[in-house]
Amino acid sequence: MGQKGFFTDTTLCIGCKACEVACKQWNQLPDDGFRLTGMSYDNTGHLGASTWRHVAFVERPVPLPTQTSGVLDFSWLMSSDVCKHCQRAGCLEACPTGAIIRTEFDTVYVQPDVCNGCGYCVAACPFGVVDRREDDGRAWKCTLCYDRLGEDMTPACAKACPTASIQFGDLDELRERAEHRVEHLHEKGLEQAYLYGADAENQPGTGGLNAFFLLVDRPEVYNLPPDPVVPTMKGREAWAAMGWGALGMAVVTLGAVLFGREVARG
Amino acid sequence: MADIRPEDLEKRRDGRNIDPKVGSLSGEGAQQRVKGTDETHPSRELPRMRPSPSGVPGEAPSYYGQPAIKEPVWIWSIPLYFYVGGVAGAASVLGAAADAIGGKRLEGLGRRCRWVGTVGDIVSSGLLIHDLGRPERFLNMLRVFRPTSPMSVGSWVLVGSGAMNTASLLFAGRRGWLGRAGEGAAVAAGLLGLPLAGYTAVLLANTAVPIWQATRKSLPLLFMSSAVAGAGSLLELLPHSRRDAKVLHLFSTMGKVGELMASVAVQHEASRLEVLERPLKHGPTGRLWKTARVCTAASLALGLWPGRTRWMKVAGALLGTAGALATRFAVFRAGKASASDPQATFQPQRQGMGAAEVTGHTHASDGKPLKFPLPVLREEPRAPERHAPPVWPREPEIPAP
Repeated sequence: MGQKGFFTDTTLCIGCKACEVACKQWNQLPDDGFRLTGMSYDNTGHLGASTWRHVAFVERPVPLPTQTSGVLDFSWLMSSDVCKHCQRAGCLEACPTGAIIRTEFDTVYVQPDVCNGCGYCVAACPFGVVDRREDDGRAWKCTLCYDRLGEDMTPACAKACPTASIQFGDLDELRERAEHRVEHLHEKGLEQAYLYGADAENQPGTGGLNAFFLLVDRPEVYNLPPDPVVPTMKGREAWAAMGWGALGMAVVTLGAVLFGREVARG
Repeated sequence: MADIRPEDLEKRRDGRNIDPKVGSLSGEGAQQRVKGTDETHPSRELPRMRPSPSGVPGEAPSYYGQPAIKEPVWIWSIPLYFYVGGVAGAASVLGAAADAIGGKRLEGLGRRCRWVGTVGDIVSSGLLIHDLGRPERFLNMLRVFRPTSPMSVGSWVLVGSGAMNTASLLFAGRRGWLGRAGEGAAVAAGLLGLPLAGYTAVLLANTAVPIWQATRKSLPLLFMSSAVAGAGSLLELLPHSRRDAKVLHLFSTMGKVGELMASVAVQHEASRLEVLERPLKHGPTGRLWKTARVCTAASLALGLWPGRTRWMKVAGALLGTAGALATRFAVFRAGKASASDPQATFQPQRQGMGAAEVTGHTHASDGKPLKFPLPVLREEPRAPERHAPPVWPREPEIPAP
């Protein structure tokens, strides 16, 4: 029990995609077809209904301080993306059926036997994680290996990661470890290292992520939003606008009936 | 799920690559239904892919131009529902008002409004169920009530409105307590008609889709005025008496004026940033948006023309209907276009239109200060506490291919 999560240290990722494979195997997810996208070694593109871990490959024409070879001004950023299991989850707050729940491990889980495929979570996720598979009709995303956590096991991707780029554990401990890692990297000269979404202070729009990241370039480069927000936070203004609209509609309708009646009489 | 036998596994060649001798289908994703393995999953088509490094000069960074969020999966039946549900809501409101203060003279109009409301509610449910990925589970919508989800709120409103409209249609005008209950139901349907016409805009605003989220203050006004215009136009097309015509003409004219004003407000709210406004200005969505406004304006002009002939009335009502329909489709298509543009997600957030709008913090998640479009009077931007904001190396200019 307790808050569980992932700390993905992208400086350690070597792009082996063992996490993608382990995830597919354990969860018995179907493949996505064998095609090459032409985007470096990335052949899955983005997270989706049957891709719950996705390794991004960023080819940069600028060197990283700790990766200088002296020959080529080039650096390769790899990052294993996953559902962030936000503290304030857009998908969970949007789900009209109660299919999306928060588990005893503080993770966000879609119950496949309840989901009716309305697709609202797909539009509500500020990270574009959840997706609906056309042929299946339901929304799917990373479960943080809910079935394995119940047996006190490590999620498949973290278990398979050969470089400890994906670390699983209690959230408090992970945060501490991550901060040490950032300090260590700063000492080594990698000034750019920072934590993305480690807590509510860093990312107030989501209340912090249960699966947070150590990045060395702008979040946009990894296809992560720079200041994400759970849409519900802004919902109040929309409801208020609807209230004014309702008032206007009532006035217009009553006015039309009253004046229309008068005109008809006269 | 547990009853899958080994022989089933052998038949089930769906890309899971599981050896039936050692594997059993009990994984979390094993229930995922897959039609065929030969063709690629449709959502895996990457038409916008661009095999170039992420640092395209002159543009803010993105990941190979890939969308940052998922495009809404909804199909044509959803914008059509926005129109039908809006018409049903506005008609219910008009019906309740005609019953309450219209007196005997507007009895016919009230009854026709109840019919439009009832049929509209039933058609609406059909359209919504048609869009579900698992239509047979449509009743799950009423499994919980979740105030944070406009879709949950809206499902209950639609069900309540449908029940009240049907009850009023069946019982109003009868004698005794049944008749009084029917009249009460008509009033309730009228009250529920207000949120029914407007919640759909809140539903859109409550998503991560940049243009819908950014126009959250004006979109409900657009949808509700468009609902009034749409309902008025439709009722004008149905046979009606001369007394009703005056009421309907006033009703739909005010709706059309409101629709035009609200569409200006929506465009103004989106124009805070060029990337946000892009789908309303360019491409097929831009043309559809323009068409909607032209139709509504033409319908309004025909309605106000002195000495209207019969064909002008019909043409005006048809144009009003077309305008209301096109408005919903334009807003819907614009959202899809906006979601698939990564810059529409990234740039507003960098400009302080992400979470900073509501929480008031001054730094993005990477510790860099947010740029605000206007000079914002806030306290001094606080220095990030843990470490200095990282300094990105300037990327060298790459000549465009």
